Amino acid sequence: MALIEIENLSVTYHVGGRSIRAVEDVSLSVAARESYGLVGESGSGKSTILRAICGLAPVSGGRIRIAGAPVKTPRGKAFSRHVQMVFQDPYGSLHPRHTIDRTLAEPLAIHGIGDTDARVVRALDDVGLPPAFRFRYPHQLSGGQRQRVAIARALMLEPEILLLDEPTSALDASVQAETLNLLNRLRAEHGLTFLMVSHDLAVIDHMCDRVLVMQHGRAVEELSRAALAGAQMTTDYARTLFEASADRMLEV
Amino acid sequence: MTLLSVKDLHVSFRTEAGLVEAVRGVSFSLGRERLGIVGESGSGKTITGRSVLRLIRPPGRISAAEMTFDGIDLMGASEKQMRALRGQRIAMVMQDPKYSLNPVMKIGAQLTEGLRLRDRVGAAEARAKAIAALEAVHIRDPERVMEAYPHELSGGMGQRVMIAMMLIPNPDLLIADEPTSALDVTVQAEVLSILDNLVRSRGMGLIFISHDLRLVARFCDRVLVMFKGRVVEELEARHLMQARHPYTQGLLNCLPRIGGPRAPLPGLDRSADWARG
Amino acid sequence: MGQITSWLRDPNPASRLQARIGQYYLGWLRLSRNPLAMIGLTIVLSLLVMAAFAPLFATHDPIAQDLGQRLLPPGTPGHWLGTDDFGRDLWTRIVYGARITLYIVALVALTAPLFGLIVGTVAGYFGGWLDQVLMRITDIFLAFPKLILALALVAVLGPGVENAVLAIALTSWPPYARVARAETLTVRNADYIAAVRLQGAGALRIIWGYVMPMCLPSVIIRVTLDMAGVILTAAGLGFLGLGVQPPLPEWGLMISSGRKFLFEQWWVATIPGLAIFIVSLGFNLLGDGLRDVLDPRSSGK
Repeated sequence: MALIEIENLSVTYHVGGRSIRAVEDVSLSVAARESYGLVGESGSGKSTILRAICGLAPVSGGRIRIAGAPVKTPRGKAFSRHVQMVFQDPYGSLHPRHTIDRTLAEPLAIHGIGDTDARVVRALDDVGLPPAFRFRYPHQLSGGQRQRVAIARALMLEPEILLLDEPTSALDASVQAETLNLLNRLRAEHGLTFLMVSHDLAVIDHMCDRVLVMQHGRAVEELSRAALAGAQMTTDYARTLFEASADRMLEV
Repeated sequence: MTLLSVKDLHVSFRTEAGLVEAVRGVSFSLGRERLGIVGESGSGKTITGRSVLRLIRPPGRISAAEMTFDGIDLMGASEKQMRALRGQRIAMVMQDPKYSLNPVMKIGAQLTEGLRLRDRVGAAEARAKAIAALEAVHIRDPERVMEAYPHELSGGMGQRVMIAMMLIPNPDLLIADEPTSALDVTVQAEVLSILDNLVRSRGMGLIFISHDLRLVARFCDRVLVMFKGRVVEELEARHLMQARHPYTQGLLNCLPRIGGPRAPLPGLDRSADWARG
Repeated sequence: MGQITSWLRDPNPASRLQARIGQYYLGWLRLSRNPLAMIGLTIVLSLLVMAAFAPLFATHDPIAQDLGQRLLPPGTPGHWLGTDDFGRDLWTRIVYGARITLYIVALVALTAPLFGLIVGTVAGYFGGWLDQVLMRITDIFLAFPKLILALALVAVLGPGVENAVLAIALTSWPPYARVARAETLTVRNADYIAAVRLQGAGALRIIWGYVMPMCLPSVIIRVTLDMAGVILTAAGLGFLGLGVQPPLPEWGLMISSGRKFLFEQWWVATIPGLAIFIVSLGFNLLGDGLRDVLDPRSSGK
């Protein structure tokens, strides 16, 4: 049975009397322990799908089911133990006036989980940060280190699903490599299911088993990893995207 | 012929945490060719680019054994001389057009402003030049774009407008700082090829600053690789694959590839000798 | 000394406390590099010291009258700032007046911003009809000139220091609500708010722990800049006879009683006026300096 099921999802924003369809009629399903990618350019609605799952975007149609059960609105505390998210911008996703310690301890406090000190230290260790960073503020960390903190925070409640919204697009190439390696290691160790959004087809290919190509809020084509590597896409847009990405990778 | 020559450039910032040296002894020279400066954030590549225009604000300090542009001593030039150089002979394109265009002014007015104020060109002639510049960056409907405000343009369109604006005074040197990083992949290629054609056809010098080594290598004649404020390797772009420095090799290999192996991506060894100090 | 500084600047603090104090220390370093802010801080601190140890600074009794010594000019031996129409030493009354001024300022500075902060963050965070209702109420308060509204309130409540404070506080919270709401609107959609919502945090926790700390700097800056206005409104109420009552040495009241002799004995009104001027200036300079230190947009750089 699929762990994440999305059927005919539509998201409509109402801005100043106009309605903007950010996502139209998108369906997908992700099995437990699978890694599923959403790829597209800006404005394709890929991030909106993640936000809709979390209840951060106005769903105007369709159904979202997690582990077979429809999600409730508002999502509630039980949901947060199943699903967590890592955001794109490591500078905006950590509260600038909270220490790393507070950021990591907060989910434990919300859910009344004890043993805070030990869990925070373990979480830092898990994402490869030295314990000395515990009482630093976000501005004392580099972008890659902040993203590690954000990943650690997402794992504090031990969810089985991690939504990744362009987790490495704001990072340097070498830091991106380290962060992707970290995510892959954590997925294996914790048995996580990933739903990952990226504009970079190569990153998605490295991380995901299946990928959904999106454009203008609609699903264009779903590809398996083999189909992607073999350039066996059937739609023009997916091919354009593939060629623009593959082109950059050519040997010089 | 040397257009720009920089010898032993240092840029330092005095902060609460003490003196931070952002650029430590960078030297390069540039003819009418395309030079790429590559490095990660914090490597000093952007600051190097800005230093050429002396656009470093206090508490930042620039010092150099030599910095000359077409025979003009940039270190000794007065602020007035620098203003005459900026935009006119040395132009700069920044990363995000959203922050480089005036949000409350129409594109047309922004494009013609310089021509009318600085060069005292008449309104009709300025407009014709601006439209020609927009056509040069492959904007299909220049008349409509002239009447648009920046927020009405997409990212790729905005960046093309920026390039058009920078090229109107026909500068000798263009500094492009991550000109395509904020753009979608399919748009990136287009903007780059436009930039490439313009630079070639006008015989300009180009400094292309980016974190993307492969992109720079495809696009430039020569590449400087910077790390922690120093140039660690300088090489011909076509010999990139023979790069010897471990940092350059690391940058080349750490990107995932479509159809590549699932094994952990090779990272940089930051504890090695070259990474320290 | 060196040990303390290195403890303060330790990039890897060992406890929450050390991390917090280290941040304050960095803020202090930045503030102390601004000479104008330091002048402001000196003035405000002097006012504090003067109020706390008023009996030590005063040379006479602030209330006892001595009609033989009335209206002496500044520079008279024993009364270096002169005396008023009841023969009371002006310096002594200024010193004791600092207590009243500070009392008013402190009470207003504690109540009005807190109330404004709560209204503003709640309105901004929830939005919708709650925002509409709260902001229209704020608009109603903003629509009246401050002093007129304070006058009306004091007229209803009766004159006196406490009522003056209440009236000033009730008229000065709306700008704080506005500032806090504006700040909340920019913070509300930040990823760190989304992240904590996703962890199941309730509205109270988010507003208190996440939104308010971001609004606090702009509100604190606004408060210090408004302190001058509060002192002037209090003085204005005193001047009109609706605030502090004689014979208490409130500065506005002193100006009011001195205006009868403004042409012949100018100092009776001018000296408390100068006191108000200097203290207002002090708060303004400090507020300007704090803006540079506390502004969230400049932090972390």
